[in-house]
Amino acid sequence: MIDNILLGFVTLMDVGMLSAIAAGVIGGVLIGMLPGLSSTMGVALLIPITFSMPAQMGLGMLGGIYLASTYSGSISAILLNIPGTSAAVATLLDGHPMSQKGQSTRAIALATFGSCIGGMISVIALLFIAPPLAEFSLRFGSPEFFLLALCGITVIASLSAGAMEKGLIAGALGLLLSTIGNHPLTGFMRFTADIPSLYDGIPLVVALIGLYSIPEVIDMIVRDKAGQVPIRQRDNANPFSFLPEVFRQKVNILRSSLIGVIVGIIPGVGCSVGGFISYDAAKRASKTPEKFGHGSAEGVIACETANNAVTGGTLIPLMTLGIPGNPVTAVLLGGLMIHGLTPGAELFTINADISYSFILSLFVANLLFVPIGLFVAKYCVKVTLIPMPVLAATIVALAVIGTFSIRGALEDVAIMLFIGAIGFILQLFGVPRAPMVLGLVLGTLAEGELARSLAIVHGDWSAFGIQLVTRPISLVILIFCIFALIQGVMQHRKKSKLLE
Amino acid sequence: MQKNSSLSNIILSSTLLMTSLLSLPVVSAEDFPKKPVAMIVAYSPGGGTDTAARVLAKFVGPHLGQRLIVQNKPGAGGQIGFSNLAKAKNTGYKIGFINVPSIFMVKMLRENVPYEMSDFEPIANIQLDPVVLAVNADSPLKTFADFLAAAKKDPGKFNIAGDGPQSNNQLQVVVAEDKLGIDINFVPFSGSGPAISAVLGNQVDAAVPSASSATNHVKNGRLRVLAVFADKRYSYLPDVPTIKEASGIDVPGIGASMRGIAIPKGVSAERKAHLEKAFAKVMVDPKFIAHAKKMGMPLNYMTAQEFSAYLVEAEQAVKQYIHLLK
Repeated sequence: MIDNILLGFVTLMDVGMLSAIAAGVIGGVLIGMLPGLSSTMGVALLIPITFSMPAQMGLGMLGGIYLASTYSGSISAILLNIPGTSAAVATLLDGHPMSQKGQSTRAIALATFGSCIGGMISVIALLFIAPPLAEFSLRFGSPEFFLLALCGITVIASLSAGAMEKGLIAGALGLLLSTIGNHPLTGFMRFTADIPSLYDGIPLVVALIGLYSIPEVIDMIVRDKAGQVPIRQRDNANPFSFLPEVFRQKVNILRSSLIGVIVGIIPGVGCSVGGFISYDAAKRASKTPEKFGHGSAEGVIACETANNAVTGGTLIPLMTLGIPGNPVTAVLLGGLMIHGLTPGAELFTINADISYSFILSLFVANLLFVPIGLFVAKYCVKVTLIPMPVLAATIVALAVIGTFSIRGALEDVAIMLFIGAIGFILQLFGVPRAPMVLGLVLGTLAEGELARSLAIVHGDWSAFGIQLVTRPISLVILIFCIFALIQGVMQHRKKSKLLE
Repeated sequence: MQKNSSLSNIILSSTLLMTSLLSLPVVSAEDFPKKPVAMIVAYSPGGGTDTAARVLAKFVGPHLGQRLIVQNKPGAGGQIGFSNLAKAKNTGYKIGFINVPSIFMVKMLRENVPYEMSDFEPIANIQLDPVVLAVNADSPLKTFADFLAAAKKDPGKFNIAGDGPQSNNQLQVVVAEDKLGIDINFVPFSGSGPAISAVLGNQVDAAVPSASSATNHVKNGRLRVLAVFADKRYSYLPDVPTIKEASGIDVPGIGASMRGIAIPKGVSAERKAHLEKAFAKVMVDPKFIAHAKKMGMPLNYMTAQEFSAYLVEAEQAVKQYIHLLK
């Protein structure tokens, strides 16, 4: 294996190879920043370009796009309160408040270094312990997925930032919206109003664009009318001066990376959930949980470290078993196949040179997005200086174009605006939006997996109940779930008592 | 008589002259295609259909004389993309990669589907990807007979995973149940990939993935394929018997996913002919064939006429079974 790694290293040290990775990273940073252009789309768009390249070069470029776009979604989340990709939803909870305090560079620096470290740790896991982790991922069946979704829903408590009832309302709304679309087992259409765009449920990317950009734009207009001027302080901090702050949070980073890798190897869960769960874990472990939601450095680092740790995690079942865990890796699987590389043992024996140079190129990509991201962000920070009417109009235009570009359906734009209206109403009443996203994402997962679990035991609820406690992984998640709920309720009570 | 025939000769020759006069300048001025051609793919980037489309697009370019650009219009099980193709301008600059039987199933299973099969004109079939019956390599089921015995022992209890619901894989399962006289429990998963994972993790007894998505796992020694639901053996799994060889019963392979090229109706005959020729050429292009082989892409060329005939036949067959999926 060591000789294979060295071989991969030799392939990597090539101007063409390095510039391919750099090109991927630059493209990825830009794609990730723009809401509506997702990592999946970026990788898919570039696959034809990688055709004519040697396999390792093409894959290096695709890997660069994947990692960089997962990271750079945080830049727009921090600066505009609009997540560039779904992975960055948890980031805006603390990233944007930090930016509003005039610390945009600090927030971006923390996100950048966190992403880099999380990404690095996940690639190390991919390089050294992929096979056992992949075997582990196969032990997740429908009951485990169902409990995992349930466990994720308990995170709502953490996202509610003091207003538990409002958080629960938003979460319930998200769960309700997740029932739109066909039933996962029968295909029966529910609440679709005969709009084909809704047959598969509300498209997540469309929902995110609407939920975050529309209320933000309305808010900007209101503030502008009220004669409020944005804080025009020049943020000239050196991003590297925040590096020690990141390294002080060793435990947070390690925990978040671990959560990210585990979420990554479980197929079908994805980057956004990784961010949410580690945000929740960081808040529970934090000495200052009250700062979460108001610009906590721990919060930014936790979710950004985790969502990039997911990237390496998702590549583990992909490369060892050929099982893509999320839409991006599904596209990457296509990219591997196009180059005639079949995932599995063969990838690490016959094609070891290509595989190892691909994995090593991921290290390079993780390192490269730091300077490239910080360089781009240096100019992006200036968006806070743009007059609000101009910025608002630009965001609306981007939101509409971004939504339409997904598949050229005007219905999607209507859905985006509708969700935007919901988002605005929520914001009006101070209801947090993150729990709604969580409900939307996990509701679909929970419903489908519950139905599937029951289908496997032929509709026998008691058999399903027995499965939940007799399957080892399921039992662990169940205990974890109960523990999380009890702790959440206790904390809430304690806080209520303090207020009285 | 004599006069008549000479008259017809004159008519014929003058018609020929007219057509050649008319068509010659048209052909040279026509010069189709002048700009890149777009191909609608009704599924998300990265899936089997999309990957095949992108590889095809790359190799057909030189034969087409212009680049072929893939446009993903995913959603609603293909309905969004197929509807889009049906409504596309019939200039020949917009073509589509269609999936059979999905294109029928969407139409038959739903109301208000805004296309008719007559809105499309087939150009060529490219791929045939049959459904296979696969079990974990450690499974006690070694042959198709073992599977039949297990399915018959406990009617309705044998769990079989597959892409679904209302997919071509599920269609193949209901056809097989009908013909083999068995009752198995089809558990829908969101794609052939998750269905295979469920088998690899022993969450279910078997799976019915597409042959192309199972092949790699068979080569890795993790999956065993007991039979292929097709008339012919699958070229990348030559040791696997067809369903007829395995069971002695002829189970129609209508769940097989056919991927071919179609255009909205009304494209001029010349442009249509140009497209047909381009795809006919790419299907014998050694570079394309070699690349398809490297990827494990199951090529199966049909001319426009053959594909048309297949579509008519398949539509009837699907109609017969579709009520079982509702």
